[in-house]
Amino acid sequence: MIRNYFKIAFRNITGTIGYSMLNILGLATGMAVALLIGLWVYNQYSYDKFLPDYAQLYRVQRNFNSNGDTLTFQSTSLRLADALRNQVPEIEYVAESDWMGSHGLMVGDKKLFIQGGQIGGDFLKMFQFPLLSGNANTVFQDAYSIVLTQSTATALFGKENPINKMVRFDNENDLKVTGILKDLPSNSSFNFNFIVPFSYVAQKDPAIKAQYTGSFGMNGYQTFVKLKPGISYAQVAPKIRLITHVETGSLNAKNSYVTFQPLQRWHLYSNYVNGKDTAGFLEYVNMFTIIGTLVLLIACINFVNLTTARSEKRAKEVGVRKAIGSLQKDLIIQFLSESFLLTLIAFVFSMVFVQMTLPAFNALTGGKIGIPFSNAFFWLLMFGCVLLTSIIAGSKPAFYLSSFQPVQVLKGTMHPGKTRSVSRKILVVLQFSCSIALIISTVIIYQQIQYAKNRPSGYDMNRLIQSAMNNDLDKNFTALKNELIQKGIVESITTSTTPATDVSWHSDIDQWPGKNAGETVEMGTVFVSEDYFKTMGMAMKEGRNFTNIYDTTSVIFNEAAISRLQIKNPVSQSITYGKKQYKIAGIVKDALMISPFSSADPMMFYCYPTRQNIMLYRLSPNIKTQDAIVQLTSVFNKYSPAYPYKYSFVDENYAAKFKLEVLIGKLSGIFAMLAIFISCLGLFGLAAYVAEQRTKEIGIRKILGASVLQIWTLLSKDFIVLVLISCVIASPVAFYFLNNWLLKYNYRINIGAGVFILSGLMAIIITIVTISFQAIKVAKSNPVKTLRTE
Amino acid sequence: MLKITGLEKIYRTEDIETMALNRLSMEVKEGEFVAIMGPSGCGKSTLLNIIGLLDDPDAGSFQFNSIEVAHFNERKRADLRKRNIGFVFQSFNLIDELTVYENVELPLLYLGIPATERKQRVEEVLEKVQIMHRKNHFPQQLSGGQQQRCAVARAVVNKPKLILADEPTGNLDSSNGNEVMQLLTELNDGGTTVVMVTHSEHDARYAHRIIRLLDGQVVMENVLS
Repeated sequence: MIRNYFKIAFRNITGTIGYSMLNILGLATGMAVALLIGLWVYNQYSYDKFLPDYAQLYRVQRNFNSNGDTLTFQSTSLRLADALRNQVPEIEYVAESDWMGSHGLMVGDKKLFIQGGQIGGDFLKMFQFPLLSGNANTVFQDAYSIVLTQSTATALFGKENPINKMVRFDNENDLKVTGILKDLPSNSSFNFNFIVPFSYVAQKDPAIKAQYTGSFGMNGYQTFVKLKPGISYAQVAPKIRLITHVETGSLNAKNSYVTFQPLQRWHLYSNYVNGKDTAGFLEYVNMFTIIGTLVLLIACINFVNLTTARSEKRAKEVGVRKAIGSLQKDLIIQFLSESFLLTLIAFVFSMVFVQMTLPAFNALTGGKIGIPFSNAFFWLLMFGCVLLTSIIAGSKPAFYLSSFQPVQVLKGTMHPGKTRSVSRKILVVLQFSCSIALIISTVIIYQQIQYAKNRPSGYDMNRLIQSAMNNDLDKNFTALKNELIQKGIVESITTSTTPATDVSWHSDIDQWPGKNAGETVEMGTVFVSEDYFKTMGMAMKEGRNFTNIYDTTSVIFNEAAISRLQIKNPVSQSITYGKKQYKIAGIVKDALMISPFSSADPMMFYCYPTRQNIMLYRLSPNIKTQDAIVQLTSVFNKYSPAYPYKYSFVDENYAAKFKLEVLIGKLSGIFAMLAIFISCLGLFGLAAYVAEQRTKEIGIRKILGASVLQIWTLLSKDFIVLVLISCVIASPVAFYFLNNWLLKYNYRINIGAGVFILSGLMAIIITIVTISFQAIKVAKSNPVKTLRTE
Repeated sequence: MLKITGLEKIYRTEDIETMALNRLSMEVKEGEFVAIMGPSGCGKSTLLNIIGLLDDPDAGSFQFNSIEVAHFNERKRADLRKRNIGFVFQSFNLIDELTVYENVELPLLYLGIPATERKQRVEEVLEKVQIMHRKNHFPQQLSGGQQQRCAVARAVVNKPKLILADEPTGNLDSSNGNEVMQLLTELNDGGTTVVMVTHSEHDARYAHRIIRLLDGQVVMENVLS
């Protein structure tokens, strides 16, 4: 019997190949979208799961009470790392770590400047990234050792065995290669190319080593912990919460409450509200899960509509089968088998689509996802999805078709197509509402991005370049600066503790005019050298700039800081920072260094001649960028021979801040296009069906004198009305969700009526184009011929 | 075999009530060939549909082999249909997507007959109606007469006790019509009861008895020699 079902299904599919292709193409597109999104979502949920003991790993955080607001920081002190190590027996391992910036690695004439970590000795026992050579227990026995990833090892040593060979690190010391790690997978929260034991940092710099016994308030590092097997976070939480409060002299220690965030939540729960990690990236994962489901649903609706519209063709078969003795149940199984076969064919097409589009999708999302062909679970899941889709798409037609009464069908007194038109219209409205809502979303996301991009940043990014400092550059900075300016390559140059596009350090001010008792203020803290504001293109609002590099008793605030501190007539007033008194020299205008979507952070700038991390320089207006880079490379290589010259343009770094929003915009645009494409496939099929059904009527109307335009109007107006209704439904729904989305941004657009009108117009134009093909074809047909056919 | 007593069937629309069968009573004995005649709208097809268990009566009794079946549920009716009744329609009602062979095989599939027996029975019946040579053709590739012979083959392949034929020659020319009537007579001679609705006096003469209906009631019965 099943063979019979499939046979008839196959002949139905091939017999009406046009409709079948519409159906299969729509379903395949919907399934491809759902599959792509599904693979992406699976990848997001798979983050870090490859690590053994995944559930026992945590990072340490501080919930900092700032005047009633709870702010969460992942910067912790070395003293806290040691306290956790020694005072909490439930913890198996603790590893302190720097923030994994870039360092210089040199072997012979091979120089790399790449990202790596300086990490506590137990790190590899906790995070068990597979070691290809070396042993996690012994790789960091010696402070002067380094573990490379496979690609870094190959880049430095080629085909040679790197174990026990030396790597020149930051052009200071030679470190012995003690282990080779397999390259980190793309779904790892960590991203490093090498690791060096933290004991190396502590040995090299006694001041850092002293922090282990220093203050809990010196929060400059990350800390990771692994709980012992069988220990839950709930058992440890009460013991760690107040662990820093023993240091009564530090306001920071007293206002900090220690918590752990499990590795399981690092990737998706990055947003903190009142000390609790809430959604974050998960919001986007959920959003795309919904979009994927909606697109698949739209494709299923096509299937339902096209199948039920064609039901007249199948009615006779149902009648005959019932007369012969088939039960409704048998027919339901038969139609579901048909839907399964069609879905299966669509699935094969969708796999081809996905395989073809994955490279582009990966390029867009920056991911490395692929179809796990060899994974049995994947195929099982896909089989389940095909089955579920075929049930969703096929059950309505199956129940509907199988419910035909044989008497009516066989006597020809039933007109099944007409009885379904209302529910079919509802489904078309549902389809178009989803598609239009996606179009509206895309337009609004783009408007928001454009709005933020056009916002004045408060500094001049044009031809501004930043490079990381290193020991050689630090030593030779003055010579380098003079040469670059003398040669006319740069017009201005400075150094700073943070890049132009970020603020990497926040700290407290001890005292300021008008401070309330117990009040604390954490604000962005930047140490700069001379010409900082000139190089950045930041304008002074009042007061003066730093006079020179030795102007170390002055502080410059930005406007946001002054309004946060509420100091009246601030210039020349005094504040205390780090137990040292500074005079407010001037107020600089706000600059958007962190988020282009938020208001400017309160910031304070100090002038210090000590080493800083970032060099900022603006190219001279008279030099071509390409020529400048050639000359810069030569000058940098002269003063910093151990490091490759690395640079980035500030405007590109700033543009990267829109990366997520641009990605979301692009993806929702693509999915909106596909959703409308699928809906139009369905509409095309329905228009053809309606035209076919009304052939006789149109023939008569033409004989009575109807023009092509009148016939076109007759056939099109119903669909246009449906799309108009969809616009009315989609607009408030899209408004609700996008308005909520926009609330995340302090700096945001107001949603105007224009976007709804534009999206509605787009949908109507697309609809008219889709249905006109059929309508005009019928309207131009010869009525004598069509009536004879009838 | 069939005993119908006081059967009523009313069709209702928003404004009109039409009494299709009005306290109709009749009997058909096993092995009989009965023709039902009457003007359009007299209730012939309604009666045939009720006898074929495709439709419910609103009142009255209908016994099939002494079992009251008037209010059987869908499952019981389908079961009784597939084991006992074969249908021949005016418009053939073959499934376009199935070949002649597959159309004829269909009732046996619903009866769960094993493949080898199915093959044997289908071929036997196709030989009998003389369309064996077209067994792999689709209905659209056959003439009207061949389609109706295929429909008759399908109606008899499960060896039903009763064949219900609704205007079986209505769409055929006279020579094909005669062939189909001949087939029905042969089946009746073999012991199958035949109830046929027809407008054709010519066809009706193949039957043993003609029941004439008017306004949902039996108005006359003629027994033919």
